[in-house]
Order: sequence, then C-alpha cells, then structure tokens
Amino acid sequence: MLRRCRSLHNGTPIAAGSHGVRTGCRTTAQVRSPVVSPRIEVRNVAKAFGSLDALAPVDLRVDEGETVTLLGPSGCGKTTLLRMIAGLERPSSGEIVVNGMSPTDARRHKQIGFVPQSPALLPWRTVEANARLLLDINRRASPVTPSASVRDLLEEVGLGDFRDAYPHELSGGMQQRVGLVRAFAIDAPILLMDEPFAALDEMTRTDMRHLLGRLCEPLGTTVLFVTHSIPEATFLSDRVAVMSPRPGRVTDDVRIGLPHPRTPELEDTDRFFHVTTELRRSLAAGMQR
Amino acid sequence: MSPRTQRIVAPLVGVLAFGVVWELAVRIFDIRRFVLLAPSAILTELADAPGYYWSNAVVTGWHMVVGLSMSLLLAVGVGSLMASSRFIEEATQPVLVLVLVTPWVAYITSVVLWLGGGEQTVLFMVVLTSFPVFTFGVVGGMKSADPAARELLASVDARPWEIFWRLRLPSALPSIFTTARFAMGLGLAAAYFSEGSAFVTEGLGYIGQRAAAFNNAEALWATIVSSALLGIAGLVVITVLERLLLRWHSSQRS
Repeated sequence: MLRRCRSLHNGTPIAAGSHGVRTGCRTTAQVRSPVVSPRIEVRNVAKAFGSLDALAPVDLRVDEGETVTLLGPSGCGKTTLLRMIAGLERPSSGEIVVNGMSPTDARRHKQIGFVPQSPALLPWRTVEANARLLLDINRRASPVTPSASVRDLLEEVGLGDFRDAYPHELSGGMQQRVGLVRAFAIDAPILLMDEPFAALDEMTRTDMRHLLGRLCEPLGTTVLFVTHSIPEATFLSDRVAVMSPRPGRVTDDVRIGLPHPRTPELEDTDRFFHVTTELRRSLAAGMQR
Repeated sequence: MSPRTQRIVAPLVGVLAFGVVWELAVRIFDIRRFVLLAPSAILTELADAPGYYWSNAVVTGWHMVVGLSMSLLLAVGVGSLMASSRFIEEATQPVLVLVLVTPWVAYITSVVLWLGGGEQTVLFMVVLTSFPVFTFGVVGGMKSADPAARELLASVDARPWEIFWRLRLPSALPSIFTTARFAMGLGLAAAYFSEGSAFVTEGLGYIGQRAAAFNNAEALWATIVSSALLGIAGLVVITVLERLLLRWHSSQRS
C-alpha cells in the first residue's frame, strides 16, 4: 500500500497554511484552518483560436483534495481548458490561479502532475526510467525524498516485474499505468489528466478507473480529470462540470454524493446508476441549448 | 542450411561469383588493364605491399572519421536550430540544398587555392559533402519527436537543453544512422578525391592519383579496392553502433 497522507474526503477539511507551499502529510507544523482553500481557480477564462471561439468565459473552482471532472462531448473545449490550467496554452482572457500562483509558476515549481492522452513513454527508456522521467527533469524542483518511491508505485499498479521492460513490450493499459506512476512520482499537489484512458478498450478502461480511484483515495491530491465517459466521471469524481460545445461552456455542476472509498462494486448499485442517468440528462440538456 | 549459416554463406557466394565473372571477363575479352584489372592481379598487388596500402588506408580512414565526426557535430548544432525555428529552417534549407547539389569536384580547385591544400582541405571537403545529408537527417529526426512527450516535459518546465538531450536527440538517432550511411559514402569519395588534388603526401587518394599519373594500373586498382574495403568497414561500424544504441527502436527488432 502507499503510505501517504489520508485525504480529506468526507472529513474535516485541512487547508495549507500558505499558498505555493507543497502540502501534504510530510509537513507537520502546518497552520490549520477550517476553510477549504481552492487549488485551482479559473475566473472568466475564454479561449479563441483565430476567429474560432473554443471556449466561452468559464468559471471553475477545484478545492484541495477534491476530484473534479470536466465531462463533455469532443470539441467542447475541455482539453483546451485543462491545457490552459497546465500552463501549456494561454487564455485569451480571464485569469487562472493554480495553487496560489500562475500556471507558468506552477509548472516551474512542479506543482502539476500531468497525464496526457497518449502515454507518451520514451521508447529508449525502461519502464522504471520512464516512470522517473518527470523526477529527472528540472531536478531542482523535485522532492528530495518523494513520499512513495517509483518502485513502490510500480509495484502498486502491478508493474513490479516489468521495471526493466521497454514500452514496446507492454500493452496499452500497462503503458498508461506507467504514465500514471510518472505523474504520481513527483508528489505534485495537483494532478491534471487529459482523457488518459480514451485509447484503451472498454475492459481495460474499467480496470484503469478502478486503479486510479484506488491510487487517488489515500492521497489527498487535487485532481482535475477530463473525459467523455460518464461511468469514469461518476466513479472518480466529487464534482462533475458538464460542458457543451461551440463555444465550450460549463452548463452544469453536479455534486456526486457517492460514498468514499469508491470500490468497483459501487458500479453495480442503483445509486451509481442514478448518478450516471443524471449526468446523461445534463449532457443532453447542455447539447440542446 | 540453417538461416544463420545462410546469412554468412549467401553473401560470400555472391561476392565470389562476382569475382569469378570479373576474372573470366577480363581474360576472355582481354580487357585493357586500365579499364579493368583482374581481381587476381589486384590481390597480388595488395599482397606484395600490404603495409603500404594499409598505412595509406589508415590515413584515408582517419580523414573520413575526423571529417564525418566534425560534420555530424555541426549538423546536430545546425539541425537543432532548424528544428526549433521554422524561420531558421526555411532560411537554411535552400543553402543546404545548394551545397548538396553543386558538384564539389567542379570547385575543389578553388577550395585548394583558398585553404592552401594539405589535410585541412581534405577534412573541409569531407565535412562539406556530408554535412547537408547529416543535417537533413537531424532535422527530420528531431521533428519526429513525440509532441505529447514534449508537452509532458513542458508541464514540469523542462529547460531547452533538457528537451534537447532527453527527447530531441534520442528521437533523431534512427534517422541520423540512416543518413550516416549516405554521408559516409559521400565523405569517403570526397576524402579520396581531395587527397589526390590537395597536395597531401599520404592517403589512398594520393597514391591512386600518382599511380594513374605513372600508368601503374595495379597500384591504382589496389587503392580502389582498398577504398571499397574502407567503405565496408565504415558500414560495419555504423551498423554495430546502431544495433547497440537503437535496441529500443522498431528497426532493430526482428
């Protein structure tokens, strides 16, 4: 099991004393306040590519320890929004604050663990070396002692025996698991995931969301997840921002009241089914507006 | 025959057959020595003075290795600039094409006049002829780097040199090796020809040039065969390095 701090799900929220400081269970002498601090704040952010309005002004807030999903059809600007939060794209207008700083500074201080849509593994690096990649880059900002070692993380996702394998020897699901470990390894307070399971088959996909749920539960990491899969959004999220296309807008903000920890059995319950139905309706309503 | 033995035997059979046809053709049609010398005569010549041809082959090999290395270093530098800026790429490309297509044998006399002959002229010609090919390989390879991986590195604010070292250069290796084979052929030709016309006193090109001037067909053909062997040795080195460095690449998997 991972030995990192227990999260804030359903518990008393614990906020970091100051912005810009890596929080987590390692710091013991924290100033504790009962106020939940926002980890990601998007204020009135819009994006246009030339004359094409990709994203109408959008507001979004993700609190510490919260998992929020951007759910919407393709072309609704959810990936664009995520990329702007990751500092990979500049908004045309509006402001984004990530962990108390600009996205650019957040990148500089390695506050973001990014999981791209394709695993983006480097074919010349072994599984372990790939999982270490983000630790090796921009070393100054890397944690001196990561709370979980890369080896433990690989063990946790079932790749313990594949440490020395090369990416081409792995299945698609295994490759994306390396991608997850790579993001988790830098101990970033914020994880941004851009449809990480989109290219996987349905069965692997289900396994992967269960795995991700298991990894995220005990961490207290703030997660922003992009998907067009309703079960994925339901299973993983505390809140779902439903988006509609042309130009992209957030049309609904659905709180997912399902209990934690989320286990695979949950997906067979009526409550789960009700939530997926609600999300489907919300998506359809957004499309008709 | 097992596939393994066949891989060794088949090429040998091919080369031997080629040699036999060559030998017979020379004898039957009584071809003049300067046009084509029988393999047996060439081998006799090489066997008579192995040290002489060996030491001159070493000189030419040295010119080739040093020239190609300098060319590759230069190509990696220029190529990464071209891969990072569309403007630089578009500005540099026509110049490289010009260097590539202009027959260097036509202007080598001017180069000799300019650089004054000697080893630097030989090296200059090797670099000049192989540099455009190498550069195109570097640019193509670097631009093939996975854009998702580039974004991933950007998400933790990787410095340009980190992107170069950890992503772009390894991505360029497969195409660098592919172009290295062409570059080596061009570099060897340039080394041989320049040695013959740049007032150096060593190298296969130099002794070949002298042999031609003194109507010594045996020596001329011995340098030709030596150069060919040098080229084969170069290809072997490139292939071995490729096997070692590109084990991860799909081209190296059976």
